[in-house]
Amino acid sequence: MKVESSHKTSNYTITCRMNHEAAALERLCQVVRIRGFRIAKMAVETADGALDIALTIQGTRPVAMLQSQLEKLHTVAEVKLAAPVVAAATRIA
Amino acid sequence: MNGAQHILDAFHRHNIQTVFGYPGGCIMPLYDALVDDVRVEHVLCRHEQGCALAADGYARASGRLGVCIATSGPGATNLITGVANAHRDSIPMLVITGQVPSALIGTDAFQETDVLGMTLGIVKHSYLIESAAELPEILEEAMDLAQNGRPGPVWIDIPKDLLLDDVTATPMTTQAQPNATCPDLESAIALLRAARKPLLYSGGGISLAHAEESFRAFAECSAMPAVVTLKGIGNSGKNSAHNLGMLGMHGSRAANRAVDECDLLLVIGARLDDRATGKLDGFAPNARTIHIDADAAEFNKLRSAEVALRGDLNTILGELTHSLRETPLAINDWRKQCQAWRTTGGFQAADNEEPLAPITGPAFISQLSRTTPEDTIIACDVGQHQMWVAQHYQFDHPRHHLTSGGLGTMGFGLPAAIGAQFANRDSTVINVTGDGSFMMNAQELATVRRYNLPVKLIIMDNQCLGMVRQQQELFYNNRESQINLDDNPDFVAMARAFDIPALKIDRTDQVRRGIETILAYSGPMLLHVAIAREENVWPIVKPGGSNKEMIDETRRTAADKKEMTA
Ligand SMILES: Cc1ncc(C[n+]2csc(CCOP(=O)(O)OP(=O)(O)O)c2C)c(N)n1
Ligand SMILES: [Mg+2]
Repeated sequence: MKVESSHKTSNYTITCRMNHEAAALERLCQVVRIRGFRIAKMAVETADGALDIALTIQGTRPVAMLQSQLEKLHTVAEVKLAAPVVAAATRIA
Repeated sequence: MNGAQHILDAFHRHNIQTVFGYPGGCIMPLYDALVDDVRVEHVLCRHEQGCALAADGYARASGRLGVCIATSGPGATNLITGVANAHRDSIPMLVITGQVPSALIGTDAFQETDVLGMTLGIVKHSYLIESAAELPEILEEAMDLAQNGRPGPVWIDIPKDLLLDDVTATPMTTQAQPNATCPDLESAIALLRAARKPLLYSGGGISLAHAEESFRAFAECSAMPAVVTLKGIGNSGKNSAHNLGMLGMHGSRAANRAVDECDLLLVIGARLDDRATGKLDGFAPNARTIHIDADAAEFNKLRSAEVALRGDLNTILGELTHSLRETPLAINDWRKQCQAWRTTGGFQAADNEEPLAPITGPAFISQLSRTTPEDTIIACDVGQHQMWVAQHYQFDHPRHHLTSGGLGTMGFGLPAAIGAQFANRDSTVINVTGDGSFMMNAQELATVRRYNLPVKLIIMDNQCLGMVRQQQELFYNNRESQINLDDNPDFVAMARAFDIPALKIDRTDQVRRGIETILAYSGPMLLHVAIAREENVWPIVKPGGSNKEMIDETRRTAADKKEMTA
């Protein structure tokens, strides 16, 4: 079975906790970009030496793929995905 | 102990005996510490790209951590291709670069480049050291990260002042990551049992996980027909009765046919790369999928899997084998069908009996395969010659075939062969290269000479960028563009200038003697093999096309050929 992305652009809200290291935000943004999403809104707070980041992102690809790539980053402790704003963007054919 | 001495000490504790590097201003403290440290062998390559690719070849051939070192600025930028190469093929590598002193970062200091920012996309992880106190812990973590889970390059950028600062070493032990449990193992076994036409699809993940033996035990016990990716070549061993060979763009007809017809794909340690799958729409259209890998991010990336198992491949394969031992799979008809395809659609190099005939790529590689000793390691470059090796050399182990799969880096072969020879001092190591690729890292002939490595070099010289020429011929109406290399230097004279003996052959009757001569020679030697410019790699799938639509040589009519050369 092929994984397909719909052509509809959807908005997603992701929250992410990561270590407060030198390149933390660039690392995160680089993955978001290369995996096919654009950042529409971003809020960052520091807490207990960690960064809490809330992102609103837009894209046509399955957002679960972005989530698993972000979770793979060594300095990312947790990624949570809020429900998409537009109806589900992925379809498994 | 200063930071630099601490690094060498850590290498020693981790049994890292060989590192590949090139000195310069900001990494000088480390080179100064090397003067007094005999425990680490530092190999000076002649270009930082050579260092990174040699460390990569060392890691591929040995399964151990490859280490490369360079200075800031141009040293670091020169490493990048080699590190990207390791990243795309998940090779365990530690990269250490000097950076301008902490106080000068961000001032556009001499030889300052933003290494951390520049390399984000090509590393598993990276660090900029901000105080000497954090160096010991980061170093341990980096070595662990590079090798565990899905391996990859980890880069540590260290400002020069911190290499000189005192470090209080606190040797620490890293904790092994727990293996993921596999609640879905039962579902995988049930799917496997339900299938009438299951196919084993394995890739480079097998040797990355050091799971060669468990894989073979499973492959033999299940007796499933099997295909391999470019990086999985050797997984099944050369005597496997069920291996249909490489699939994909230059795969065997048998392998692509089996994928097309199977009803279950058991993907192990592979990421379904587009060169292997062809157009995804037409790929294994009737199959359900079980995907087993160390990296959960590979699941459902390009193809959704009914069952996905993440974890240690040795453990998972062991459990699968155990379950199949009790009740074997009843798939005899399918096995027979695949055997029949293998007979008619495997790779066969036609040996030319005519002694004066020109040498052809496939026949040369077949002869090489028949002539080399068992433990031979072949480090390829990128192009047609790379595909002929993949198709016609019989590999018994995946670590015997070093090839740049994900990045396809021309210039990989010679430095990788150097690294492989350092890792396996007694093995025969051969770089099979093309006339284009060879010139990308030819400076490393000096490294071969300096360390008197008995590396053998074989240049398959078609006087052009053959792979590009082939695609221009087939898919761009034969409009040749910038592929001509007929003004190559005299490769024999060039080797001799590096004090490496060399010989040239161009006729079929010289092939065997040529190969035997370089193998018999105790030191490094180069064999320059002239082949026809027009030779192509067959079969081929058009880039972006479906694997069902393989193009064979026979499809080119005499009229086509005439038109092409007109
Ligand atoms: C560094 C780099 N630049 C460009 C390419 C694109 N490329 C792929 S194969 C090839 C031709 C290789 O020529 P050669 O080494 O002579 O091998 P042949 O195909 O002739 O056997 C080129 C230019 C590449 N893979 N790597
Ligand atoms: Mg060539």
